[in-house]
Amino acid sequence: MSDVILSMKGIDKRFSGVHALKAVDFSLQRGEIHGLVGENGAGKSTLMNVLTGIHAKDSGEIHYFNHLFNPKGPKHALELGIGIIHQELNMMYHLTVAQNIFVGREFTKKNGIFLDEKKLNQAAAELFERLNIDISPTEIMGRLTVGKQQMVEIARAVSHDLRILILDEPTAALSNAEIDELFKIMRDLAKKGVAMIYISHRMDEIGKITDRITVMRDGELVGTRQTNETSTSQIINMMVGRVIYEKPKVKSNVKKDAEIVLQVEHLNAGRSVKDVSFTLRRGEILGFSGLMGAGRTETARAVFGADPIQSGTIKMFGKQVKINSPQDAVFNRMGYLSEDRKRYGLALNLSVKENTVLASYEKFEKRLFIQAKQVEDTTAEYVQKLSIKTPSVDQIIRNLSGGNQQKVVIAKWLIRNCEILIFDEPTRGIDVGAKSEIYAMMNELAAEGKSIIMISSELPEVLRMSDRILVMCEGRITGELDIADANQEEIMKYATMRNQE
Amino acid sequence: MMPIMLFNSKKLERIKDKGLQKMLAPMALVLIYLFFGIFGRNFFSYNTLVNILDASYYIGFLALGVTFVIITGGIDLSVGTVMMCAAITGGTAYRSWGWPMGASLLLIMAVAIMFGFFNGFMVAKLKLPPFIATLGTMMISMGVGSIVSNVRSTAFPPRTDPSGWFRDIFKIITPNRFSIPTGALVLLAVTIIFHIILTRTRMGRYIFAIGSNKEAARLSGVNVEKWEMSAYVISGVAAGISGISFPAVYTTVMPAQGQGFELFAIAGAVIGGTSLSGGMGSVFGTLIGVFIMAVLRNGLPSMNLQAHYQTFFTGVVVIGAVLLDMYRTRKAAEVKVLSPSDTYKIETTEKIQQLKEEYLKAKQSKSMKEAEALRKEMKDLMIQMNKTYKTMKVAEKEEAQRVLAEEKEAERTFKEMLKKDQVQ
Repeated sequence: MSDVILSMKGIDKRFSGVHALKAVDFSLQRGEIHGLVGENGAGKSTLMNVLTGIHAKDSGEIHYFNHLFNPKGPKHALELGIGIIHQELNMMYHLTVAQNIFVGREFTKKNGIFLDEKKLNQAAAELFERLNIDISPTEIMGRLTVGKQQMVEIARAVSHDLRILILDEPTAALSNAEIDELFKIMRDLAKKGVAMIYISHRMDEIGKITDRITVMRDGELVGTRQTNETSTSQIINMMVGRVIYEKPKVKSNVKKDAEIVLQVEHLNAGRSVKDVSFTLRRGEILGFSGLMGAGRTETARAVFGADPIQSGTIKMFGKQVKINSPQDAVFNRMGYLSEDRKRYGLALNLSVKENTVLASYEKFEKRLFIQAKQVEDTTAEYVQKLSIKTPSVDQIIRNLSGGNQQKVVIAKWLIRNCEILIFDEPTRGIDVGAKSEIYAMMNELAAEGKSIIMISSELPEVLRMSDRILVMCEGRITGELDIADANQEEIMKYATMRNQE
Repeated sequence: MMPIMLFNSKKLERIKDKGLQKMLAPMALVLIYLFFGIFGRNFFSYNTLVNILDASYYIGFLALGVTFVIITGGIDLSVGTVMMCAAITGGTAYRSWGWPMGASLLLIMAVAIMFGFFNGFMVAKLKLPPFIATLGTMMISMGVGSIVSNVRSTAFPPRTDPSGWFRDIFKIITPNRFSIPTGALVLLAVTIIFHIILTRTRMGRYIFAIGSNKEAARLSGVNVEKWEMSAYVISGVAAGISGISFPAVYTTVMPAQGQGFELFAIAGAVIGGTSLSGGMGSVFGTLIGVFIMAVLRNGLPSMNLQAHYQTFFTGVVVIGAVLLDMYRTRKAAEVKVLSPSDTYKIETTEKIQQLKEEYLKAKQSKSMKEAEALRKEMKDLMIQMNKTYKTMKVAEKEEAQRVLAEEKEAERTFKEMLKKDQVQ
């Protein structure tokens, strides 16, 4: 038997109005880790959905172990040894780890009626041992960290005796240590002959873990390369067809005497914001760095009034303000772009225009009625200004790509005429091309005199964008760096500076 | 062998889709009406029409109000009993407390609106699940109705009474016994007003936004509590109007009545395309849904089926409507892929069309010979097309079957191979 276990030839797929896959070829060898990269909407997910039978292909052939193969659905694919781990975890958070892994395939006692929990837990323990994962099978799923949950999901997939494992952005929510652990598991699996398709936006990871890389763009196959013979910039070039990146900042663009627009003092909120004080100047991009759970998002939400605060004062434009709800914050011209757009930023089944003006309907109201024409014109203006790719302002927002959705959220706050914008992980889940567009947009906004707080877990992003960087650890601000003095080591030092009480 | 998509201009397709979506429920209404007209006894009559309208008012208003609540992603189970509680309170005020009719009607509105506020307060401010909050209100309002009326039914004054004027709001009977269903105008007016609120005002936009994503609305600075509450108040207002229409048509109100009306109201909204998960719906759809139920209610007796069949068939319609809606949404996302035979047929049909135009032209310019030749060519092509299309289609089917068989065979050998080739 040849080493090629899967070959997809001339796969073609159309959705209404979109040619999602254009005669794509793809092949996979036994035991290889194959990176699949491309901008959002390039067709990676569609290709994987065709492979696992979620979508039926319009034409083309799939050969799996040299047999013609036509997957009818994820279950069918799984039976034949093709498993997928989606970006969003599909877990039953109230059940135990073992119950999650063997759901649908529970062991019963001899009488065939009652469940055999003991055997279940034993099987899970054996599985974890095989994969070198340290998780108790009887732990309740919801109590695990996201990283551990991801491990369980992988264990569940592997327990099906897989030949091909597809991982769709598995590291989006993982810490560095957890990513290393994941990679170890992946290499072990590869040694055992399992082939993996690894989808990610993170170039450094792709370079580290994969053997080969396939690049897709606009539904077409751009090419497949050996990882060790290819540089990151070459891959990015293939992905976007061009390279535009904002240059890293070397010095702050903000004058020392620029107006202080936001002053937060001794803010305490919930369990993860402790005595936080900082200032934000006009035209400044203030980077918030730190590890996961350092309290950055919580700080932003407290300042914005999304979560209640216990104590602390907030001054805006020199005046003390009371912010008890997002309504107060928006009234004071503050806007918040959440890290989780779909949950906190967008009304997904409403249209583009309904989302862009959501925060500023008052402006379009004339004697009780909304001026539909004005709403449309304004939205159209911002669609053009921010080059939001959408067939029309009536398009349902769900159908837009991540980058364009993010731009709609930005448009929402610009239409509201916000002076202070809080960007929480502004480029999470956004492809390279749209990323640099968002960066350029942020710089432009700062140059226009808007003030920006940017929370980011990606150090290169923090270093590229910020004028000044605040580092948080365990709910406290542990360091402040001017961009001129900042580097990755310095930020990491502060980010791990635990309180010595 | 690239598949070719049947491609109309995008805009046209969107209009077609939207149009179909909007037309489906009205079409169903017309079809059901015609069905009873043809197969029922004496269904096509002015009197039956008036009866249908009479039967649709009280549920109609309730359904219009509850549509607002459902769009926010909530539910209002209390509308039926609130309506009855308000009506009975008004009736008691008129009969036992000696209030004038006008004041009694205002009391009906006030009681219903108060319950609306109460629901809104519990859901929006106290964050109670709408199901629980309104379930409580349903029981409370039923209790209040019984307490106020002392568990006695109340009869509203007849037309002949000077205080019976309020019946004219919903039906005028002329001295020569001709009925004018003015209630239809009231129902339509309320629908239009509600439609404008829902589509043209801030309140309506916020109600949709809250139903689509409450947290996103809150983080956009929308006063979610206020606007969510307003939906329940609207539902209360509608229940009040319904509480006036009910005695205007049926005269007597009893404290034990009203339970179950809320389910018909919700059914009306659902048949009309309002999504129970929130963020989607329209009051015109709801109106159609209510009429469908009312036609069923009046049509079935005309076929010698008792009124309780209405409940049965309404249930069927509710499930059918939602299934159809789901099917349609799924279909809309699909793309038709044309096989080569389809492409051939389309192309050839176009060619024939061209020939036909040329033929007509030739005929007009009186060159008979040419016209005759063209006609013959056209006919030949058509025969040929039908033949070729058939053979192509058969070949395609055979090919598909062959591939299917191969896949099945492959799967069998494959599963065996998997067993042997265990990953260590």
